[in-house]
Amino acid sequence: MKEEFLEIKDLKKSFGTGEARQEVLRGMNFTVKKGEFCVLLGPSGSGKSTLLNIIGGIDTPDEGYVCINGDKLEEMNERELTIYRRKHLGYVFQMYNLIPNLNVKENIEVGAYLSDKPLDVEEVLTTLGLQDHKYKYPNQLSGGQQQRVSIGRAVVKNPDILMCDEPTGALDYKTSKEILALIEDCNKKFGSTVIMVTHNEAIKYMADHVIKLRDGVVRHNDLNEKKIPAADLEW
Amino acid sequence: MKRVKNPLIRRIPREIKTEWHKYLVIIVFMVVMIGVISGMYVGHDSMLAAVYGGRDELNLEDGSFELAEIAPDEMLKDIETGKKADVREYFLTKGYEEADRKVAEALDEKLKENVTAAIETKVREQCAAFGMIDEKAIGEQVQKALKENLETALAETRKSEEFKEAEEKAYKEAHEAVVKKVDEEWDKNASKYGLKDEIKVIPAFIYENFYRNETEDFDNDGIADAKVRIFKSDSEIDKASFNKGRAPQNDSEIAVDRMHASNVGIELGDTVTVGGKRFEVVGLLSYVNYLTLHESNTDLMFDAFGFDVAMVTPEAFEKLTARVHYNYAFKYVTAPENKPEQADHAENFLKTLIIQSLIHENEIRDFLPEYLRQASNFAVSDIEGDSAGAAILCYILIGVIAFIFAVTISNTIDREASVIGTLRASGYSKREMVIHYMSMPVVVTILGAVIGNVLGYTVFKDVAVDLYYESYSLPTCHPVWSDTALIKTTVIPLVLMFCINLLVIVRKLQLSPLRFLRHDLTKSKRTKARRLPKWSFFRRFRLRILFQNMPNYAILVFGVIFIELMMCFAFGLPDSLDHYAKEAPNMMFAEYQYILMGNKDDEDRDIKTSEKTAEAFGAKELVYPKKESSFRSGMGSGGTESVTVYGISENSAYVTLGEKKDGAYVSSAFAKKFGLKDGDTITLNAEYENKSYTFRIAGRVEYEGGIAVFTDMENFNRTFEKEEGEFSGYFSRNEITDIDKRYIATVITKDDILKVTNQLNHSMGGIIGVFRYALIVLTAALIYLLAKIIIERNEQAISMVKILGFGNGEIGSLYIVPTAVMVVLSAAVGFVAGYILMVWIFHIFMLQMDGYFAFYMTRSSMVLSVVYLLIGYAFVSLLDLIRIRHIPLDVALKNVE
Repeated sequence: MKEEFLEIKDLKKSFGTGEARQEVLRGMNFTVKKGEFCVLLGPSGSGKSTLLNIIGGIDTPDEGYVCINGDKLEEMNERELTIYRRKHLGYVFQMYNLIPNLNVKENIEVGAYLSDKPLDVEEVLTTLGLQDHKYKYPNQLSGGQQQRVSIGRAVVKNPDILMCDEPTGALDYKTSKEILALIEDCNKKFGSTVIMVTHNEAIKYMADHVIKLRDGVVRHNDLNEKKIPAADLEW
Repeated sequence: MKRVKNPLIRRIPREIKTEWHKYLVIIVFMVVMIGVISGMYVGHDSMLAAVYGGRDELNLEDGSFELAEIAPDEMLKDIETGKKADVREYFLTKGYEEADRKVAEALDEKLKENVTAAIETKVREQCAAFGMIDEKAIGEQVQKALKENLETALAETRKSEEFKEAEEKAYKEAHEAVVKKVDEEWDKNASKYGLKDEIKVIPAFIYENFYRNETEDFDNDGIADAKVRIFKSDSEIDKASFNKGRAPQNDSEIAVDRMHASNVGIELGDTVTVGGKRFEVVGLLSYVNYLTLHESNTDLMFDAFGFDVAMVTPEAFEKLTARVHYNYAFKYVTAPENKPEQADHAENFLKTLIIQSLIHENEIRDFLPEYLRQASNFAVSDIEGDSAGAAILCYILIGVIAFIFAVTISNTIDREASVIGTLRASGYSKREMVIHYMSMPVVVTILGAVIGNVLGYTVFKDVAVDLYYESYSLPTCHPVWSDTALIKTTVIPLVLMFCINLLVIVRKLQLSPLRFLRHDLTKSKRTKARRLPKWSFFRRFRLRILFQNMPNYAILVFGVIFIELMMCFAFGLPDSLDHYAKEAPNMMFAEYQYILMGNKDDEDRDIKTSEKTAEAFGAKELVYPKKESSFRSGMGSGGTESVTVYGISENSAYVTLGEKKDGAYVSSAFAKKFGLKDGDTITLNAEYENKSYTFRIAGRVEYEGGIAVFTDMENFNRTFEKEEGEFSGYFSRNEITDIDKRYIATVITKDDILKVTNQLNHSMGGIIGVFRYALIVLTAALIYLLAKIIIERNEQAISMVKILGFGNGEIGSLYIVPTAVMVVLSAAVGFVAGYILMVWIFHIFMLQMDGYFAFYMTRSSMVLSVVYLLIGYAFVSLLDLIRIRHIPLDVALKNVE
């Protein structure tokens, strides 16, 4: 039985003031277990990216808290939050945000540098199928390859949680499946807890835990008993 | 496990490689600037080190004196030991001896006369008794009697009481006359030279340093071209350093001053005729006591064309025919520690010298302590105060570069917002990001500083040293380590660069990772789009571009102000010098200013002239402490300003004082330089004495030519404890011809003022020339960087309009026209702001120098300083067009979220 690793409690967040005030998160509660592949599913504006940013310590809730491994983020100051992100998190965004004048290997080393327990960069390159491209610069790669590098940069840190914000949002069907398979591999191979934000319903089938959001609240919180490999997903 | 090195470091060399043209401009710029300024400091310090080192190495005197006759060893020994002597007693003894001799002679003569007469009378009486009447026979009897009895009679008479009484009386009277005469003379000299006071013993070493003033005919055409002062090659004092060649070794060889040689075109191996004899030039030298060729210490300006100093062998010296000047140099056994002590030593030494010259019956022709010697102090004083302007310029320029860097980095941060957001979200700390973005300016500054310093110590040092060599006859110098250069050209620029960039980068990276990820980088809230008039689409588009780029144009305006400031410096400094040179003669309140050695002639009568326009005045040189704390810290250009206090005759035709009697009126230049107002109190100090004089300012005299204070003669004499009727010289409209030249210390005419300004132009002209070119290069580089920033920031938009189908020409007109309009507008604004700033900076610059002249720019320079900028921009906009043409279409499609 996996232990509970992440706890979200009564989380509320709103933007704007007065009439323009918009409640994005309206009291959200759920937990995620260590090593789980968790998908946050929901349409645009459902608050999933905001939730991910709060879990990632780059945004703060108005009410409620996020507790990771027993530590409440709201009790951390900016420096502690930076250390928290440095030690425990890996981030993958829809846009790859690679450093243009560093090659593939060096972009991955950017992540390795931050970690006390980094994975072997060469092994990560092999896992991500980037060995042949490791000396190329980002502008010499396709979108899918760039996203692999971005995953590599996050995974090489050997993070406790891998945060993925619409990682396939800018990719075609085939490449998207490849990327999802990679994240799945990393989850299995390196044991990181994965929290992935997506609006793609099909992706929920590869997850251990599916949380559906709408209008800032959790509509469904289901464990997936029959998950299927990413390679078999169809949409 | 081995920790991975921060891969971000690798971005630095790659960034430099990709943006090499930008960094090349910045580095070249820094190298040139740091190099030139470091070179100036190193040259300056090396030159001073060579001069100061040379003083010991070449055994510079502490002073010298010239005697009418060659001094015997005993006299020199007495001067060296500072032997005390009672001059009055000496002259009394001497007078008594003389008087005694004269009295004895007179007594002898009188006695002989009386005794002879007595014998003759007696013989005649006896002859008459015997009835002898033959005069011839009587004469024979008299002669016979004299022969037989004179000596005995004289001896007997001497024994008589009567004679003894007479003798005593005669000696007494004679001695009294001697005492009276000696006392009269002694009183006169003693009070003149202060010989009655206690004289301190100042032991010194005396060196023979004879010279002859010969004629020099360097083109051997039989006509004398210059005057040359010849010294012997075996002198142990005031030696020379050889810039080229060697010392003469036989009596047909000569070594001449290098500055004079360079000015008149003498080279090694040339033959020159000196005193009618031919010599081969075997060396070009610089005498430690003739760094500037002042023939006489009272010369206002040196003359390296008409005067030369040279060295020949002692044998050759003997063969020359001009009068030998018995010049002796002295060095104190214990060197004085400060200026008042220098003055004190010199004063006491002079007293000893006067006493010994009196006792040894020699005459002092000249006496000059080293600290007052123009020929060895003029250049040093000038070099010492030469570096103020460079530092100010250096800091302005570093500020500009730091500012450009900050803007460039700020743009890079905007462009890399997503990456920064990702890195921050991944755990990079703010500190790490700041360090990363700080590395580039620090690396570039260090690179520029290192290369600049290397060039400064090698190439540019020589440029600076050559500039000094062009002005003065200085010894050979070797580069010395200059702390000032390191601090001012490396440490301060690094600190400036560091602080300015740190401030901008820290401020920029203050935002949260999320805001970076969202590209939400502006602090202000988005404003609504302005409504524009119904103009053509293109005009409105341009206007929109103008509005959108306002922050960038603000930077441009700021940059252009800097450029115009530098332009004002480049054009204004030579203009100001020229203007001063042109105006200086008009500023003189009298066509001739005769400064006399004293107001009495040898017979103690007032020195008078029949010149009708002549008007007596008093003058006293004092110093004004620029800062109270730095008083006495340096000569001239250091912590003090030289001030001439003039005593003006009543109803003066030359200087009009206000109505306030006893009031002190400052020259307008003095008031402007130090911001003095009526009613202020100023304290002036004597440079070589511990005396201070306080004046309350009653008004101002419009005189731009110097730092001066004017007061009426009566007040002047009272203040400086002078006797009534005492004066220092004459103002005159015409030349005064009836005053003996030996009573005149200096004459200041228009020509002298011009000489000074021309020399100033000559000394500074070279440096300004170098700066002007460096500044024009800088201007081009700056405008290039500023324009590049605007195009870079609009790259995405340009790419997008390209995709939409706009042609390169149309895009050029859209983006370049608004920038051009802004450049023209900001050039005008920048010029006004730059000019005002320059006037202020120039004032600060002048505060560090001696004297004063205001900043001035001719109209053509004003126009040129704007036109140069516009021409520079025209070239840059051509480059911009090329740059726009090269912006690829996919820029707009990258990183669009």
